[in-house]
Amino acid sequence: MSDDLERPSRDASLDEMLGLSPGGADDGPSWFLAFTSELRETWSVVTRTLHFVIRGSPQPGAVATQLYEIGNRSMAFLCVSMGFIGMIFVYQAGIQMKRIIPEVSQLGSTYLELLVRDLAASICALMLATRVGAGIAAEIGSMVVTEQVDALRMCAADPIDYLVRPRFIASVIMTTVLTVVAGCVAFGTGMWTASAFFSINPRTFADASLVDGADVAVGLAKCLAYGAAIPLISARAGLAARGGSEGVGSATTRAVVNSSLAVIVLNFAISTLGYFLLG
Amino acid sequence: MSGLLPSLGRAVLDIVGVVGAIGVLFGRILSRLVRLDLDGRQTLASLYRMGVKSLPIVIVTALFTGGIMVVQAAPTVERYGVQSLLGWGAGFGTLREVGPLLTALMISGRVGANNTAELGTMVVTEQFDGLRALAIDPLSFLIVPRFIGIVTTLFLSTVFADVLALFGAAFAGWPLLGVEPGVFFDGVTGGLLGVPDVVHGLVKSVAFGIGMALASSHFGIATSGGAPGVGRAVNATVVTTASFIFVLDYLVSFAIR
Repeated sequence: MSDDLERPSRDASLDEMLGLSPGGADDGPSWFLAFTSELRETWSVVTRTLHFVIRGSPQPGAVATQLYEIGNRSMAFLCVSMGFIGMIFVYQAGIQMKRIIPEVSQLGSTYLELLVRDLAASICALMLATRVGAGIAAEIGSMVVTEQVDALRMCAADPIDYLVRPRFIASVIMTTVLTVVAGCVAFGTGMWTASAFFSINPRTFADASLVDGADVAVGLAKCLAYGAAIPLISARAGLAARGGSEGVGSATTRAVVNSSLAVIVLNFAISTLGYFLLG
Repeated sequence: MSGLLPSLGRAVLDIVGVVGAIGVLFGRILSRLVRLDLDGRQTLASLYRMGVKSLPIVIVTALFTGGIMVVQAAPTVERYGVQSLLGWGAGFGTLREVGPLLTALMISGRVGANNTAELGTMVVTEQFDGLRALAIDPLSFLIVPRFIGIVTTLFLSTVFADVLALFGAAFAGWPLLGVEPGVFFDGVTGGLLGVPDVVHGLVKSVAFGIGMALASSHFGIATSGGAPGVGRAVNATVVTTASFIFVLDYLVSFAIR
């Protein structure tokens, strides 16, 4: 099973597959082959990671290290970004509401609902896709091109078990934690903006009446889905790195682009499902 | 030396140093732009590699973004029963905020990171010194063309993404909410949205482009320490660019209404 990654594979990022790859006109369906092979190999990483999550070898401290790397070290970056996002969105939404209804006291409850259902998880995930995704792909990619991954295999340690599993577990946990914390920051800065620019009392603004179980469920499902997708796609990009430092560079780019696309597609899928199933 | 205060001070000095270096780089790029001191062939190559090749991801992102905007607006639309306002609601968010923002984040992952990796590899393999030895100014040969490439790419991609996102929203609103595309576009063009909203988004895209070009070029040039150094530079670029995008978004949002 684990030799899927050992033969030279056709790797192509989604932009090469969809687009004008330099191959020319004679290799017509090659983008389709590349796309299916990309999907198949990502799927192989997914199944093997899930297998090792259940019955992997115990590695004391590995998950904790990754929790620190992925979680604590992204905290400041995420809080600053989400703080700005909170100010911008409340300001824009306030202008938007003022154009049709002069009364903006509903702003807080609508904003809180949007934040819980979508904004916190999705914007955080886009940030994490750049920071964590690039980090995982660069780390695993440079281990691949310096043959450290082959050395792991020689020691009978599966790279998926040894490298991907701790990052996967840590990312699923930390994406949720970071989303909650950064969401609170975004709500706080939004509250400040509302009181400074639209003179809405913070007590009026902090109104959770529109948030129901369905919103929380959709938001939580998004956190878990993004937290699972980002490390798997980035690890797949890193493991497919070939050919020295340029290979690592393009693996990093591919990890960021494909994880961001995955976040956007998952967002659309989960939002639509949630809208139809939970109302 | 490992206390909170020294590390805080070091972090602040780092940030100030990076911002200062980026400012100096901006000045040097501007002085060459004013004198039109740049390599034409490199500029065309950058425009093709960055702009044309990014179209597929811009298309996919924009169509899904439109769909997401409609799904998020759906509960509000149903609550108040104002289907004619769906086009306005989704259009306002897309044109002013979400279109430029998501396009910039995607382009940053693809073009910005790639730019740093390329320049960084050139630096660590001493190709920059080679250019200098041939009396070719690396700034006007490599950096200014890329600067033009990134800013133009982001501007045009945003125009493209705005249009496609509105189409995506119109055709997602039909099956999801039963709002026909005609009604949707009436909402977009119904008078509540105007040229200032489109301009607002496009000004943002130019600001993001300048920030992204400067950050990615700076970290590319400043690369040191071989192949691992290139990896660190790419990482620094994506993080700095994302922070730049949010700060610039905030400043532009408040500067122009």
